[in-house]
Amino acid sequence: MSRNDYRILSERFGRKDGHKLSVYESEGGYKALRMVLSGMPPAEVREVVKDSALRGRGGAGFPTGVKWGFVPEGAEEVYFFVNADESEPGTFKDRYLLDYDPHQTIEGTIISCFAVQAKLAFIYIRGEFGWLVDRVQKAVDEAYAAGLLGKNILGSGYDLEMIVHKGAGAYICGEETGLINSVEGRKGQPSLKPPFPAVSGFLKKPTIVNNVESVASVPWIINNGAEAYKAFGTEKSTGTKLFSVSGPVKNPGVHEIPLGMPFREFFHDWLGGMVEGEELKAVIVGGSSVPVLPAAEAMNITLDYESTAQAGTMLGSGGMIVIPQSSDMVELIQVLMHFYFDESCGQCTPCREGTSWLHKIVKRLRGGKGTIEDLDLLEHVCNGMAGLTICPLADAAVMPMLSFLEKFRPEFEALIQETAPVGMNSRWPRGEQEK
Amino acid sequence: MAKLTIDGKEIEVPDGTRLFDACTEARGRPLPHFCYHPDLPVAGVCRLCQVEIEGMPKLAIACNTIVRDGMVVHTMNERVNKANQQVLELHLINHPVDCPICDQAGECGLQDQYMEFGLYDSKVEQSDKGHKAKVKVIGPQVILDQERCVLCSRCVRFCREVTKTGELGIYDRGDRAHVDVAPGVELDNLYSLNTVDLCPVGALTSRDFRFQKRVWMLKSTEGICPGCATGCNIRIDHHGGRIFRLKPRYNPEVNGRWMCDRGRMTYKVVHDEKRLDSPLKKSGGQLAPLQWSELEGELSGMLKPGGVSLVIGSSHLALEELFLLKQLGLQVAGEDQIIGGLAESDQKDGDDLLLSSDRTPNRAGLALVGLEEMKADLLADRIKEARGTILIHGGNPAADPLLAEVLANCQHVVYIGTHVNETAQLAAYALPGASWAEKAGTFVNQDGRLQQFQSAVVCPGSAREDWRVLAEMLVLAGGEESPGNLDTLRKRVSSELFNGQEFDLNTLSALGVVPSGLAEPADPVAGGEG
Repeated sequence: MSRNDYRILSERFGRKDGHKLSVYESEGGYKALRMVLSGMPPAEVREVVKDSALRGRGGAGFPTGVKWGFVPEGAEEVYFFVNADESEPGTFKDRYLLDYDPHQTIEGTIISCFAVQAKLAFIYIRGEFGWLVDRVQKAVDEAYAAGLLGKNILGSGYDLEMIVHKGAGAYICGEETGLINSVEGRKGQPSLKPPFPAVSGFLKKPTIVNNVESVASVPWIINNGAEAYKAFGTEKSTGTKLFSVSGPVKNPGVHEIPLGMPFREFFHDWLGGMVEGEELKAVIVGGSSVPVLPAAEAMNITLDYESTAQAGTMLGSGGMIVIPQSSDMVELIQVLMHFYFDESCGQCTPCREGTSWLHKIVKRLRGGKGTIEDLDLLEHVCNGMAGLTICPLADAAVMPMLSFLEKFRPEFEALIQETAPVGMNSRWPRGEQEK
Repeated sequence: MAKLTIDGKEIEVPDGTRLFDACTEARGRPLPHFCYHPDLPVAGVCRLCQVEIEGMPKLAIACNTIVRDGMVVHTMNERVNKANQQVLELHLINHPVDCPICDQAGECGLQDQYMEFGLYDSKVEQSDKGHKAKVKVIGPQVILDQERCVLCSRCVRFCREVTKTGELGIYDRGDRAHVDVAPGVELDNLYSLNTVDLCPVGALTSRDFRFQKRVWMLKSTEGICPGCATGCNIRIDHHGGRIFRLKPRYNPEVNGRWMCDRGRMTYKVVHDEKRLDSPLKKSGGQLAPLQWSELEGELSGMLKPGGVSLVIGSSHLALEELFLLKQLGLQVAGEDQIIGGLAESDQKDGDDLLLSSDRTPNRAGLALVGLEEMKADLLADRIKEARGTILIHGGNPAADPLLAEVLANCQHVVYIGTHVNETAQLAAYALPGASWAEKAGTFVNQDGRLQQFQSAVVCPGSAREDWRVLAEMLVLAGGEESPGNLDTLRKRVSSELFNGQEFDLNTLSALGVVPSGLAEPADPVAGGEG
């Protein structure tokens, strides 16, 4: 198959006016919705998506159809949230989806809402994506004007309202209960589970929160069927996935590939390898929260949920960060630890205190005041955080920290022994503290 | 019912029980915790009550887990202990460890839990410690130290869920998160000091108790708050004859785990400088001290049948005292001449939490002994009609201007009280009684619940427990012989007041008792509309 055969989600990426309803419709847009509303029962829609084995693209990889099935049978009031609070360092695929092709997500949302019989949908967009809010709002307005949203959609008797909601700038609101709390007007921090949102979420009613890429995949699945979708990918990781690639490769950006592609192939054929003068040192495959893989290990994996898990990392959101030899791993982990300490909601003690302590220790190391014992201390702090909190943010900080320590310990030791060269690309040269 | 195994011990608890509570029952002591509180919604943020549930891959917090039949739970295995120790360490890394100057020291969750399962060597660099606001006055009663705070959110949940006033919040995020009031807002509600009780560390301290006493010096005595007719169960914390603070004592039937700030300050009157600490006799318009022994002769004229024209009690007196006062009244004044006391007007500011508009602790006790209160105008008429000695016990009727006027015209008022107040000033004899914290007794609250309090501190000077004064007067008046001790007195009260019932004031349950037929006491106020 050629590259173009994999374009389930990225067909209109980079296309002029691809975000407009007219273009989307002229290329078969809203066909799936028409099909669904012309007589498919909600249960059948759920069944098709379940059969497709589509896994949530936000990072956890939980099967979307199964999640929909958690909504209690006969629930009167169901809410649906599209999670576009894309804030994980290295991840920028949802932004492409909403920027270049908002109608695909809107159509997917309407079908998904119909599947769980939701009457109100929110598209929760990361606050920093200001222009994206306008773009999606315009698309939603177009859809309303065309009778694709609102009362009695396409004469089917199904009503759905859609609200474009702008986040206020917190990574943690990408966690589904944090997102719901934030829309309810509360502090954006995760809630205890159970109860899970599918049973008691927004306004304590059954609520489904799906990633943009997950719902954007739905129209194609409806149009082409579960079997066609399963033709892409592996047995347990079906379909295609967007990877947002950053780092000094020849072709950075968002790429859609079928799951299960060997990283080696993706790296050489799609990314074009490293830019001149750089050599691959390591890869963070699925966004900043997953364990880092040294180049040699990365070359052995295939890009799917199982293979990455086997290699001790995660496919995550597909936010791939390619790290060159010239990068200082201690500096990199400082950047990440700064992010997690800054974004911790502060609710659970292990995360609040742990992320801040990790950051302080790494900062001290980079300030030239670290000791070898500090490396054990970093591990010790990580052990006191992992798996002990309400949401996975603590784990998201622990996983890169521990893997950096494990895979690149010599760099930390060299820094401590004052033999380390000052990182070539250092924004924060050693000895100088970030604010 | 659900059967579960906790640390190898099988227990059975009702369905829907929180695993935390089931663990407390099985272990005989609670799991480590800061944020869990049985009267507040679960927050699940301190992450200390981690337990291992067989069949679950991750540790779970017991506070947010509902028991299931067949659960097998481990609360003390190596994995759980290690997790708890590490979480505790994270609680402490930014804590200032200023225990030597912290009021909470001695009753601090951080100290207790560190000693129980911490005991690690600190690994934090002093320079890595974060700093937040200290000594921040956030209300009339409470001071906040954000550095000591473990962000358990109990205080925030209390103000949101119990008082529904919502003064407190947690602001900012990550390690900058801190408890605070919004600008221009004060933690100023009637129950604000409960946040100090709830605070498991020294972040919220009482402005009243601050720096007054190390808590390990304090002794505790069980008491009943005398502040209103609710009768909150309290703990009187005292040392060296001085009361330092009052804390609520758990009684699910009365006050739960709370009490109001007003009630907490009722100990102040005990150590008031205007305490009556010696018998006083008026001579030449001035009250001058005299000995108890000298009083016998002074009062002998009055202590004979018909020697007293009016006896006025008070709903501030204990049931035992009211009983004796009535006996004395019957002996020296006659049944029609005994009045329960001045009916203090309702404050009309009671709330639906604890505070009652009726600010007297034992109005229902008056009804129980068969005495009626009177409104000021009627009582004034009775005083005007009285010829001869008027015996006033407790209360301060002369605080009412009308009564002050008529009492000023009485030549022979004998007053038993605790303070040199308006009534004492008008008396010919003022006899020092014990304040509520200096005596044992029984109050009957507004729901008819009999509750007992113990004597926490000794009376000042030569003041004496009121029942002893009354008992001696009764003997002098030729009545029954003195009960000699409180037990005997209570036996008498029990047999007289609860005749025919299996009831003994000496064996009253710690939570108090509502005797059958007493659940709704009749309005004891005579003379018109309440």
